[in-house]
Amino acid sequence: MRWATRAAIHIDRAACAWLIRRHVDAQAEFIFVSDPAEIPADATAFDIVGAELSHHAGDCSFERILRSYDLADPVLWRIAAIVHEADLDDQRYDAPEAHGLDMVLRGLTMIRGDEDILAITGPVFDGIYEFCRRAILLGREPE
Amino acid sequence: MTSTREGIGEWVLLSYRLPREPSTPRIAVWRKLRRLGVAQISDGLVALPAGARTREQLEWVSEEVIDARGTAAIWLAMPATRAQEDQLARAMAAARAAEYQALITAAERAAASPGTDPPARSAAIRRLRNEFRAIQRRDYFPPAERDQAQAAVQRLAASPEAQAVQPPGRGSQPARTARTPARTARTPARTVRTEARPAGTPSRVRKETT
Repeated sequence: MRWATRAAIHIDRAACAWLIRRHVDAQAEFIFVSDPAEIPADATAFDIVGAELSHHAGDCSFERILRSYDLADPVLWRIAAIVHEADLDDQRYDAPEAHGLDMVLRGLTMIRGDEDILAITGPVFDGIYEFCRRAILLGREPE
Repeated sequence: MTSTREGIGEWVLLSYRLPREPSTPRIAVWRKLRRLGVAQISDGLVALPAGARTREQLEWVSEEVIDARGTAAIWLAMPATRAQEDQLARAMAAARAAEYQALITAAERAAASPGTDPPARSAAIRRLRNEFRAIQRRDYFPPAERDQAQAAVQRLAASPEAQAVQPPGRGSQPARTARTPARTARTPARTVRTEARPAGTPSRVRKETT
């Protein structure tokens, strides 16, 4: 399936792309557009103005995708809290990691293009997932 | 005003209209715009210096307005004169200056109450640092009050009462649960931004390298 999002990736789009590839559509192909009018008819849009899978009702796009695809995994919701705070910083969640992750993503946008950023952040989010999974199982930070 | 930009810059504008009722979305939008530190040009027209981030943030607000049955549009614009731009920037700098000033007052008040118990004091330091960061994120034309606010919070952290919060044993379990007081007491001379690093990091790095 084809998925379209706004060019110039940041935390929410990077996290959504990872989420889509790992939990929604393993064959996902991503298209980056600078205007919503450029979204191909057969593509599902996310994190772009006008899309259903975008910011609505106080949610960031990552949370929207979790709700739309009934992904109830508590580990993913923990990541959602971090992504939400990194993106919107509105104190909806307690996620002190958000500022650090935001810095990593913003730094990457300064030196790499969108395709590269997806390739780099894939394993980063895999690692964050594993860390959060162990933390939830243990009830404390894993070693 | 300390704008470092050459000539006249580009601004991203949000024009919006929201129904008077219900008031909840109106308040939510107003809070978001306030958090972004927008310049209010006129009723229903706000501006930020144009950038990928500022533009995106205003676009999300415009979505929220449209979701709440209002109308909204995003514009990229340049003030026609330097004076007009200066006026916008000065208004934004003044708004931030007032926020920094409130922070300075709060920090001085906390420093002047020596009876405060150490946990309450470190909670106050943490709160003021968060507040400082929040203001700084929406500060596009930093006024002199920024450095003064940073210094005021730093003085509070370096005060003898804050120093009295002794760090628990390094690397032990209790040290990781009592993060902020430990970091505050160990590194009084650091800047606010550096200190905001999670205190658990060094111990974890040490464990991995042994």
